[in-house]
Amino acid sequence: MMVRSKSSRVLRSVVAWGTVLLFAFPLYYWLTVAFKDGKEIFNYPPQVWSFSPTVRNFEEIFGISLGFGFGEQREVLPGGGNWRMAPRLWDSIVIAVLSTGIAVSIATLASYALSRMEFAGRHHFVSWVLSTRMMPPVAVAIPVFFIYKELSLLDTYTGVILIHALMNLPLAVLLMKSFFDDIPHEIDESGMIDGASRFLIFRRIILPMVKGGAAATAVLCFIFSWTEFLFVLTLTQTGLKTVPVVSSTFVTSTGTAWGNMAALGAAAMLPAFLFILLVQKHLVRGLTLGSVKQ
Amino acid sequence: MANVEYRSVGKNFGTVRVLNELSLDIGEGEFVVLLGSSGCGKSTLLRMTAGLETISSGEIAIDGKVVNGVHPRDRNIAMVFQNYALYPTMKVRENIAFSLEVAGKSRDEVNAKVEEAARVLSLTDYLDRKPSELSGGQRQRVAMGRAMVRDAKVFLFDEPLSNLDAKLRAHMRVEIRQLHDRLKATTIYVTHDQIEAMTMADKIVLMQGGGIVQVGTPDDLYDRPATRYVAEFIGSPQINCQEGEIVSDGADVHFKNSEVSLPLPAGYAAHGGTKVTCGIRPNDVQLSEEGAIVGRLKIAEKTGADKQMHLDVNGSEFVAVTPRSTEGVPGDDMRFAVDPGKVHIFDQSSGHRITTTLSGA
Ligand SMILES: Nc1ncnc2c1ncn2[C@@H]1O[C@H](COP(=O)(O)OP(=O)(O)OP(=O)(O)O)[C@@H](O)[C@H]1O
Ligand SMILES: [Mg+2]
Repeated sequence: MMVRSKSSRVLRSVVAWGTVLLFAFPLYYWLTVAFKDGKEIFNYPPQVWSFSPTVRNFEEIFGISLGFGFGEQREVLPGGGNWRMAPRLWDSIVIAVLSTGIAVSIATLASYALSRMEFAGRHHFVSWVLSTRMMPPVAVAIPVFFIYKELSLLDTYTGVILIHALMNLPLAVLLMKSFFDDIPHEIDESGMIDGASRFLIFRRIILPMVKGGAAATAVLCFIFSWTEFLFVLTLTQTGLKTVPVVSSTFVTSTGTAWGNMAALGAAAMLPAFLFILLVQKHLVRGLTLGSVKQ
Repeated sequence: MANVEYRSVGKNFGTVRVLNELSLDIGEGEFVVLLGSSGCGKSTLLRMTAGLETISSGEIAIDGKVVNGVHPRDRNIAMVFQNYALYPTMKVRENIAFSLEVAGKSRDEVNAKVEEAARVLSLTDYLDRKPSELSGGQRQRVAMGRAMVRDAKVFLFDEPLSNLDAKLRAHMRVEIRQLHDRLKATTIYVTHDQIEAMTMADKIVLMQGGGIVQVGTPDDLYDRPATRYVAEFIGSPQINCQEGEIVSDGADVHFKNSEVSLPLPAGYAAHGGTKVTCGIRPNDVQLSEEGAIVGRLKIAEKTGADKQMHLDVNGSEFVAVTPRSTEGVPGDDMRFAVDPGKVHIFDQSSGHRITTTLSGA
């Protein structure tokens, strides 16, 4: 560690905290909106610190009573729209978890093969995999709509899960491959000499080594699926809707229900946050530490 | 235990030929060291023996059976890699036990073998640690343990000591050799350190540029190097080389250049007029008033037990090992004598050893 003067240390933490606040403030303000009454949201100048918090927005979107004296509920707000958001949150969770699971599983197997197998064109394979992501999704959405119609996948979990997994696969393969590439081949070879089959080597030795990488990949896939808008919009009708699509219903002909929208957003952050919390203990760097000389 | 035969083995990486028509027999229970400078193909040969590289031409036979198409896991060999290649997510115990578990051995047998290996390698206290929690030397021993518990036919080592400090390396040299004497397993050991080769080997195979230059016991290579390359590779400090000519006038045969005139055994008479390189080991010279080698002292190095005199002889570096009491300051002229029988003569153009008999190298 370099020795630094006190003033430069202070300056460093000031800049660091400034940056953190810069990013955290919009999030904070948005959370306050979720807890504000309709009128308070539009107060000018905006009330950043002092306002009377209410859970009404949450009660409204989830159709429940949180018992703070705002018992009465409105089933339908002026301008129409679907206000029962709990099932939509559930849709989002199912789709994000399953599509992430599929993408990461396939990517793990595929990228191990890509990292270890010798076959003609393996160097181009990666760019070929990536090229599938170069087309703008809009260009793909319409054809996929017609394909899904033929296959009766429209408006189904399977359909959305598949397309999300597919969209995530290239990046997941690329990421996972870099984690496998970091593992020296001697470890595989050592396993071979110890008498293990390829699959046993993969399962017992290599897979545990890329757990952290798989967790990082899963986080990225999850966030993509959690926030994806276009495909859910085009491929679903009434059967299911994820949070990003359904939050647009708060923009109605008679105005935008900012409080409700913010409340939904706040609620939607929770599962994503929990998921990341769950996998982050695996997000350890230096995974190969100690296996080979430094 | 098994013997290993290489029959005209060749290896290409694409268009690059890294091993050339290499033939070698390794006997049962022998400790063979593959020695050579970096890039000469030692690891490649070892990996081909293990089945980790394909064999481009020729064949390798283990225990009399050609193994060219045999998968590494069916060759029944054990290998210690230069970087140890331990399984980082497994504890030491699991690392050592892995091959036994794969082979479907009973839990009791596995435990007994692991405990035994740990005892021999002084790893008992570390069995429940991960490799990342071990020192370099301990990791090296785990890698050894992993190889030991197998009843492998052949043990392969690829520079297993190159990551250790000098003291530990000297210690492990002895340990590995003792282990071999106990297990009596056929061992092929790769290194570029000639001291390791000299101290451990039953037989040294000296490689250069993808081929074998000389095969023999450590004494063979030290006393009768087949080429100048071998002479320069083996021995520390390095052998001194002087360029010159064999001059034969009747009874007297001399090695001569503009400053040195060295008597040679009479057997070299037949080579009179040949341009040669004369190799003299730093340990084979004695300080002497009548010595044939005259040089100006550049620097005197103390090594503890003795002194190394770095001299300028006929424009090239000449090192002489002398007793520690030898006086000398830079600029002094010093004279050394050498026993004619200890002089190595190599043909200048081919680099091959010229012997006193007419058969050549
Ligand atoms: N996969 C490969 N592709 C192409 N060339 C290779 C490959 N592996 C090794 N080589 C080449 O083959 C030659 C021999 O390599 P090898 O690893 O056997 O050397 P070595 O004697 O073990 O050297 P060192 O002492 O440095 O380990 C080298 O010139 C190297 O560049
Ligand atoms: Mg090597």
